[in-house]
Amino acid sequence: MFLVLLKKELYNEFRSRELILSMLVFGLSIILAYAFTSDVSRVIVANYAPGMFWAMILFVTVLGIHRSFSYEKEMDAFSMLIAAPIDRGLIYLSKWISGFIFLTVMELIVTIPFFKFLLIDFPPNPLMALGTALFINLAIMAVASLVSGVAMRARLSEVLLPVLMFPLVSPVIIAATKISGGIMAGDHYQLWQIWLLIIGSIIVIFGLVGYTLFDFITEE
Amino acid sequence: MLSVSHLSKSFNRRPVLADITFEIATGETVVFMGKNGAGKSTLLRILARIMACDKGEVSFQNHDLLKGAPTTRKDLLYLGHASGMYSALSAVDNLSLALRLRGMRTSKEMIIEALTHYGLFDQKDDPIAVYSQGMLQRLKLTYAELAEWTLLLMDEPFSGLDDDGAKLMHDAILQWKSEAQSLCLVLHDEAKGKLYGDRILRIENGGIQESLCF
Amino acid sequence: MTPFFQNKTNRIWCLAAIGLLIFNVWNIVSNTPMVPDQHWAQKIFYVHVPSAWVGFLSYLVVMIAGIMFFIKGDDKWDDLGLAAAEIGTLFMALVLITGPIWATPIWGKPWIWEPRLTTTLILFLIYIGYFMMRSFGGHIERIRRYAAAVGIIAFVDVPIIFVSVQFWAPEIQSHPQVEMAQQPSGILIPFLLSLGIFTILYILMMRYRIHVIRIKNMGVENV
Repeated sequence: MFLVLLKKELYNEFRSRELILSMLVFGLSIILAYAFTSDVSRVIVANYAPGMFWAMILFVTVLGIHRSFSYEKEMDAFSMLIAAPIDRGLIYLSKWISGFIFLTVMELIVTIPFFKFLLIDFPPNPLMALGTALFINLAIMAVASLVSGVAMRARLSEVLLPVLMFPLVSPVIIAATKISGGIMAGDHYQLWQIWLLIIGSIIVIFGLVGYTLFDFITEE
Repeated sequence: MLSVSHLSKSFNRRPVLADITFEIATGETVVFMGKNGAGKSTLLRILARIMACDKGEVSFQNHDLLKGAPTTRKDLLYLGHASGMYSALSAVDNLSLALRLRGMRTSKEMIIEALTHYGLFDQKDDPIAVYSQGMLQRLKLTYAELAEWTLLLMDEPFSGLDDDGAKLMHDAILQWKSEAQSLCLVLHDEAKGKLYGDRILRIENGGIQESLCF
Repeated sequence: MTPFFQNKTNRIWCLAAIGLLIFNVWNIVSNTPMVPDQHWAQKIFYVHVPSAWVGFLSYLVVMIAGIMFFIKGDDKWDDLGLAAAEIGTLFMALVLITGPIWATPIWGKPWIWEPRLTTTLILFLIYIGYFMMRSFGGHIERIRRYAAAVGIIAFVDVPIIFVSVQFWAPEIQSHPQVEMAQQPSGILIPFLLSLGIFTILYILMMRYRIHVIRIKNMGVENV
């Protein structure tokens, strides 16, 4: 059933092309804002590049996950999902993994303008950067999907979502910045591997809590 | 088959349903009627497990519907006001998904055949965002036709339908009644209520008043 | 419903709490040793740390209330959770106020990204979100469920937040505060006393707040 739900998410995006495109455009406008606010000074940007990247991803995630849950509310499609004889925790899992896939696709595309427009050098070990980025995306989406599930029926959900999500996701952002900073500086992975543990625990804990709690928060 | 006891639901402490108790037997058609805002749609949504109730127990096919596993709602189908489907996907895709989530593997041919019967062949591949209200009602009818269920909950089945559509709905309801399927309809038209219902349950001030149809 | 202070237990709690608080202030001012380098500023420690302790305890209560709400389905658990969330946030605000008061004479600047203060700030922000969610969540019956969920999520995140913030800037030293076990008894005993008194105050505040919440619920229901 999880695969049915996941395929639905991916197919919906394939048909509507809303999420990745809007996340991408938003990401590019943030990069533009970065360029203007830092005067594209090599010194400023090189020091802050990892943080700037993950802050951008955070904002883009809010947009993406909010849209992902919003289209469930159009035409009351969500009621079809929750009335179906399926485990509702699977809905959380499908939102999580599909969100992770969309975020990763968007990130892969936006990395090039990020590095090129802001005149930052590519990391010395791109494979390691990619691998850790995947791990981090998974953690961000685990938190985002759960919080969005809670916020989806609330008034002003587009405000409530970031207000609830940002403090909860702060360990991931701290860890992501440290890991990316380490990779960009070419540090040996032992210097930053502790942060992978923190991200791993977020994935496990939020995954479990989300799967368990989703049944309680989906009903009107 | 369905037994509701002491069901209560409030919105901001204002009771909409207060201590509702009723039963639906196998093969029976029950019609819910009442003023706007009486709680008919709310009741159906609670039975469909879309809305949470404050208190009460519901037993469906001798299983606890409210606290039981997801499989307890396998034979219960809910069709609400809105289409309950994804606006970006086509009718075929939506039906395929909805049926698959109910554990049914239905072939595309069967789905298209059903859509054709209900007059939606030409628009079967269009995203349902472009459908009119009447077309969405026909889509819901197609869904009810294809899905396996023993109790169907339908909220205002005739709303938005033209004469042809209304005839199709009428025929479908009579067909289901003749097959001894259980139906739970929310209707506004008294005449239709008496025509289709074995019993009419009027929801008023949070309570239920029953009248039989002969 | 009987007024709060007509209940004998509540009167005892109230008098005990007030009396002990006055004693606590006197105790801190006169009986505690003066720490070299910090002088009077260090005395805030006897308020700052117990506030943090009560705040975290309260947030733990919110999580337990949330879990029990989902298990039992009884609204009374949400009343407990709301009271604990409010009082916990109040004490966390106290921590965030006394922290800079302590820090300014010691560090020369009011705020420093010290791990415990940062964790407190993050938790405080999470609970601002909790109260926002209670305002915007819709009808009260649905709000109770969401609040229980957020209460659980928030506290489950706390250990991870604390560990990550600890490793984030290790060069920033913690508040000048020797490990509890190594404190001389002249400091440890008044501290433990203050901790106990703050806990008694917390229990009183919780009892009162739950009482007020219940009255409000009854009043709204009878309209």
